[in-house]
Order: sequence, then C-alpha cells, then structure tokens
Amino acid sequence: MSLLAAPKPPPRWRRLLADYAYVAPALGVMLLVIGYPIYDTVYLSFFNTPPSLAMEDKIYVGLDNYARILASDSFREVTWNTFIWTVFSTFFAFLLGLGAALSLNREFIGRGLMRGVLLVPYVVSGVSAAYIWRWLYHSDFGVIGAASVALGITDRPFNFLDNVDTVLPSLIVVNVWKEFSFAMIMLLAGLQTVPDQLYRAAMVDGAGPWHRFWHVTMPHLKSVTIVTVLLLLVANLNSFIIPWIMTGGGPVGASDIWITAIYQLAFERVRFGIASAYSVILFIVMMAMGYFYVKALTRRDEAEAR
Amino acid sequence: MTDKEQAALGGLTRRQLMGGVAGAGLVAGMPAFAQTSRTGVDAATWTPEFVSSIAGTVQVDTAADCAKVVPLNYKGRLTYWYVGPNEASPQIDKDIDAQFWAAFAKTYPNITVEKQNLDYNQMLNKTRTAALGNAAPMVAKFPILWGVEFAAKGQLSPFKPEDVGFTMADFWPGAMKSVTWQGKTYGIPTNNETMALTWNAALFAAAGLDPEKPPATWDDLVVYSKLIKEKTGKNGYGLVARTNAGNTPFRFMPQLWAYGGGALDESEPDPTYKKIMINNEGSRAALQASYDMYVRDRSVPVSALTNTQTENQDPFIAGQLAMMIGHPSEYAAMLDRAKKATGDDKKIADAVVANMRYGLIPKGAARRAVVFGGSNAHVFNPKVVDGKLDMDAARAFIAFSTGPEWSTKLAWTNSNPGHLTGFRTSWMKERLEQIRFLNVTTSMLPNGIPFPVVPISGEIMNIVVPDMMQNALTKKMTVAQATDDAARKIKGLMGGDL
Repeated sequence: MSLLAAPKPPPRWRRLLADYAYVAPALGVMLLVIGYPIYDTVYLSFFNTPPSLAMEDKIYVGLDNYARILASDSFREVTWNTFIWTVFSTFFAFLLGLGAALSLNREFIGRGLMRGVLLVPYVVSGVSAAYIWRWLYHSDFGVIGAASVALGITDRPFNFLDNVDTVLPSLIVVNVWKEFSFAMIMLLAGLQTVPDQLYRAAMVDGAGPWHRFWHVTMPHLKSVTIVTVLLLLVANLNSFIIPWIMTGGGPVGASDIWITAIYQLAFERVRFGIASAYSVILFIVMMAMGYFYVKALTRRDEAEAR
Repeated sequence: MTDKEQAALGGLTRRQLMGGVAGAGLVAGMPAFAQTSRTGVDAATWTPEFVSSIAGTVQVDTAADCAKVVPLNYKGRLTYWYVGPNEASPQIDKDIDAQFWAAFAKTYPNITVEKQNLDYNQMLNKTRTAALGNAAPMVAKFPILWGVEFAAKGQLSPFKPEDVGFTMADFWPGAMKSVTWQGKTYGIPTNNETMALTWNAALFAAAGLDPEKPPATWDDLVVYSKLIKEKTGKNGYGLVARTNAGNTPFRFMPQLWAYGGGALDESEPDPTYKKIMINNEGSRAALQASYDMYVRDRSVPVSALTNTQTENQDPFIAGQLAMMIGHPSEYAAMLDRAKKATGDDKKIADAVVANMRYGLIPKGAARRAVVFGGSNAHVFNPKVVDGKLDMDAARAFIAFSTGPEWSTKLAWTNSNPGHLTGFRTSWMKERLEQIRFLNVTTSMLPNGIPFPVVPISGEIMNIVVPDMMQNALTKKMTVAQATDDAARKIKGLMGGDL
C-alpha cells in the first residue's frame, strides 16, 4: 500500500457543475436564438394578425389558426406536394448517391477527379444552381428544349416549369442533382469501414456480387443509411431555395411546399399568426424526425452500454 | 400655346404660368377636368406634345420655398431610409443622389441626416420589423402602396402637403389617394410614373403590320400578337403571369380596367374599395383575352407563368418578342443591354434598339388605363421611431426633397416629379431632351389608376390576381370559374379569412 494516498476525486456535484459551466454559453445562445423564437412562434400561432392591425392589437383566436389550416384545401394540396417532393427527392438522391459511392469505392483511373466532379453540385450555391436550372428548363429559350427540338425529339420546347403536371418532377430532378453528392459522401465514408476480409470470405463461400452487396455491404451501411436518409428528409422538408427561385411555388401552387407556403403567408401576405401555426405544425413533424435521428445516432452507444 | 393646352392648364395664360406658383393651379384651376377625369387632368389634352410644351416654363427657388416652411438655420437630426441607387444603377442616378445630399446639406447645414440606402427587396420587411421594435426611421420613402399598411397599423404620423407649404392640388389626385387612409393623409408623393406599350417596329413590319402604329385596343393587341407569331414565329406579346411578382398586376390590371373590370372598384371615380369587380363581365373579358393569347393562339411566351418582366427584356433585345408593357426606363435598359452585347448579338440588339417604339397602352371597351406608380415620403409615428422624432427636421427634408426641383431631378431616369410644378421646370425640359420616349410614358399619367388603397391590396394584386390568371391559363379552371374563385378569395380576405 502506498504511503501517498491517491488524490481524492472531486465530488460528483462539482464535476457536474463544471460540465454545466462548459455547456452554459452554448445553451444560453441556443435559448436566445432558438428557444425564444420557438416560444414566440408558438405564442403567435394563437393569434390572428391581419395586415391592417399592429402587432400589439393582434386578436387571440385559440386553436382557430390550426383548425383553419388543417381544414383548408390549399393545406392538403401543399402537404401532398411536400410529401411527393420530400419522398422522391430523398429516395432518388439516396439511390444516386449510393450508386456513385459504390463506384467511387472501387479503384480506377481518375477516381479522385471523378469524386471532385461529383461533388460540384453540392458545393455550388443553391441560388446559382436554381437560376442556372431555371434557364436550362426555360419553356421558350431553355437549352434542354432547344436541344430536344434540334435532335427532333420534340417539335417544340418541352414545357418543364409552366405546366402543373411537370413542374414538381422537374424541380425534384434539380434537387436530386443538388443533394445526391451529400448522400454519396456519407455512404462512401460508410463503405470504407466495411472490412475487406468479409468480402473475401463471402467470395470463398461462393457469394456473387449481388449477394455480397445485399448480405455484406448493406448491413454495414445500415446506420449510415438511416442517418443519411433522415438528414435528407429533414433537408428536403426544409427546402426553400430551389422551388422559390425557380417557380415561386407556381404555377397555381403546383410546386408550393410547406416552407414556401409559410414564407408566403408570413412575408408576402403579412399574416404572422397563421404562418406561425403552419410553422408549429412543421416543427412538430421535424421534432418527430429529429427524435428518430437521435435514436439512430445513439443506437450503437446504447447497444454498447448494454 | 394652343387654346386646348391653355384649357388643360385651367385657363392660365402663358404669363401666369411663367409667373411661378402655378403648380397648384395646374389642377386646382380645372374643376371641369377634376370632375371628368380621375386624375384631374384631361387625358385628351395631356399628350406627349403638351408635356413637352409646358416643360421649362417655370423657375423655382427651392431654398426660398423651404425657408417658408422651416428656417434654413434650423438645427436638428433626421433618420431617413430609402431605396437609392445601387451598383447596378446608371451613373447619372448615383451622381444625382450625391448632388441631392450635397444640396440639402448646403440648404440646411445644421440638420444632420443619418440615411440608409436599402435594397428594394429588403426594405419592406426591414421597416416592418423596425416599426415593430420601435426602431423605425423618422422619415422613409416608400413605393406607392407600402404606406397604407403602416398607416392602418398606426405606425405613421398624419402628414399632409400643407405641412410643407404645398397644397393637395400640387399632386396628382391618384397619388394623394395612395397616401390617404380612412380620410387622413399620411405622406407626400415624391414621384409618379406610368408605363406604356413598347414594340419592335421591325417585327411589326415583318408581320405585315404598320410598324409605326401600336394596337389601338386590347382586342387589336390579341390579333397583332397572333399575326406576329404566325408570320414571324416570334412571340407577339410579353405576357407576365408569375405569382408573387409585382410585374404581373402592373401588366394585367391595365387590361382588366380597360375592359371595365377591376379587383375592387378602384377604377371607379369614387372608389369605396368595398365592391368586388374581379368577376364582372369586363374582368372576364380581359382574362379571356389573355387566355386566347396563351392557350388558343400560343402567341405569347410559354414561360409567362414563371416570367417576370426581366425575363421579357432578354427576348425583346434578341428580337424574339414584339410587344411588352414597358417602364419609362425600359429604353435605357435596352440601350444598356445592347452596349453589353457582342458580335452578331450586338448587331441584333442595336437593330432592336433602333426599331424600339413607345406608344399608349391600348384602350378597352371601357377606358384606357395604366397602373399609377411612384413613391411617397412618410413620417413615422413618434411611438415607433428610434429616438425622438424631430418633426421640423422631417418637414424641412420633405419640403426640400418633394418640391418641384428635387422631385424632378431625383426621378431623372425612371419616373416623373410628384410635384406637378416639376413638369414645368427646366430640368423636366432637359429630361425630355435626354430621355427618348419620356413624353409618351408621361402622357399616360392621366390614365393612371392606383391599386386599391387597402392593407390587403398586396395580397390581392400579388397573389389573388396572378392565381386567377394561372388557374385559367393552365386550364385548371375555366375563365368564369377562375374569376369567381378570385372573387371568393377577395371576399374572404375582406372578411379576414386566410
């Protein structure tokens, strides 16, 4: 037994106090820039704030804003658009990202260059991308339309953005182009953690490419897939730049999604009360997704803890 | 001066005009016109020639006029927000802005001005936020309809022309209407403008039309547009129908009013803004004309549903579009585009500029109409002003900036003086000599109709009206259904619905 006793660890409360002191500044900033706006948005959602009234004259309407939103035709239309936009954007961005990641995970000449090229859409500013695509798609003078006419595919430029049936799919294409690189990076990082010996063992056991992909690669990508999909879902639910710049939600609301509808209500129509209620609904959806995101992130930690 | 011109000026003789203070008399001395014309000026007389004839007939002394309002040695402080020249503005705008501030400092050397030159797209939201946080400026210059929202919320101080030594009759009645809320005046018009029809004479000739004659009526315009498309393959008329874009109502409402329609009753001599006219026969006829061009004849850009006027300028300068409703500054914008073009593009652009013409916007069954645009100066309510409102400094500044001299100079490239005497100054004469077609766009002023002066006007014009157009043009609804749907939405908005 040593004559010198080991220094006594500080009491638990003191350690906790220090921990809290470290996170307090960040917590304070969060409360100020996130907590207060959330509180104020929820508070405002119970009031009617027509453009003709000053904010201090707002009228308390209880849950009326929520009832009006949920009962309105436009909400159903916008929600359906948001669903289509989010699901298809996420699905195709993930699929394309997975394909690109699988390709880039193999050794080939020019892999580094290809990786750089495929990252370009992700690093291009959203506003620039939206304007460029708007001109590519332009119904009268767009490059795509001109090319299709020149090649004899169509007799007049295809109407991408000024048609209620084609506008949303056209915007989804742009969105997928913009964000598949993100999925690619995430999945590529995941692929590089798959032990090589597992592939070799599978090959010894006679597993073909498909079986190796399905039974070796995909199980190892499960966690990163969940996180990537959740992040894409959240990003797509929050999308604003592409639909707003390219179409402003039109024509006739065919490309209006939740965020553009909220923006329009708040800043074009100056109806902060109803826009707040809309935001709270979106917030609840996002919180639910956030819950699953955190669960996915901490699943491994919990398993290890057990 | 012809008898007709003299009559238009309310019976004033040339000597009286040269005498000086006839700005008030220009409108006030014309009771007959005031009764027959909503702007107080006889549209038949206020021709391009007439506008040119009165320019340069009056001398003004701004400092002397201002001294009668607030002594020139007054010591004070002013905060001021406005949309001034930016990087993209022509050099002349920047020079005039600098000259203005230098001249004000010279006239009122003891008034300190803290000014903010804001981006147009940011100013409204920034001012709304500032007013909510009691951090508004003392004075702001707003585009014509922004003020009503602030007035309705009690965030503006009542402020009338008499507060700065002018009279109501010094300004267009339409402009005064735009600063009036529930019978009280809340600002002074700084500048006013109206648009006109611009066309490419070469495309008219190629389509077998008289290159120097614009369509006289909107029905003619539909026919011209179709002919041009058929004969040249180019788009006839630059229809604009994007939602949430100010360009859309500025181009569609003149058509709607011309056919006898309206959103509310804003086109009536004494509007109440309580009567919905968006689904009357005239409104349906106007929408039908747009439908005919877009759906039936395919004679306008397919991209009209997502286009703003900016997207019309490129095809126009490229010789791919024959007609559009243009701002007074459209010619300068085209010149600018032509200067930037290179190679073969430059040849085409130069040819388009040479063939560019301006004419009156077509008539409809009911009238000839155009949106009455411009800006107003407002004084904020002391309750929402950042610091203490210095009313005398505000009065001095507004008297100086909205008087005949500076309301003319500050509107140099893209508008017209708000103060009617400005039309008779030497600076107006200089503008008319420098800016091609300015006399044409200016002569549309008596046909100007302001958008309804109600807080929901923005929603009606930027959302309901474009939605109505898009519902019909995408065939989601019939023309009648689209107008009825718009009427239902306006009724809902008036009743406080979503």
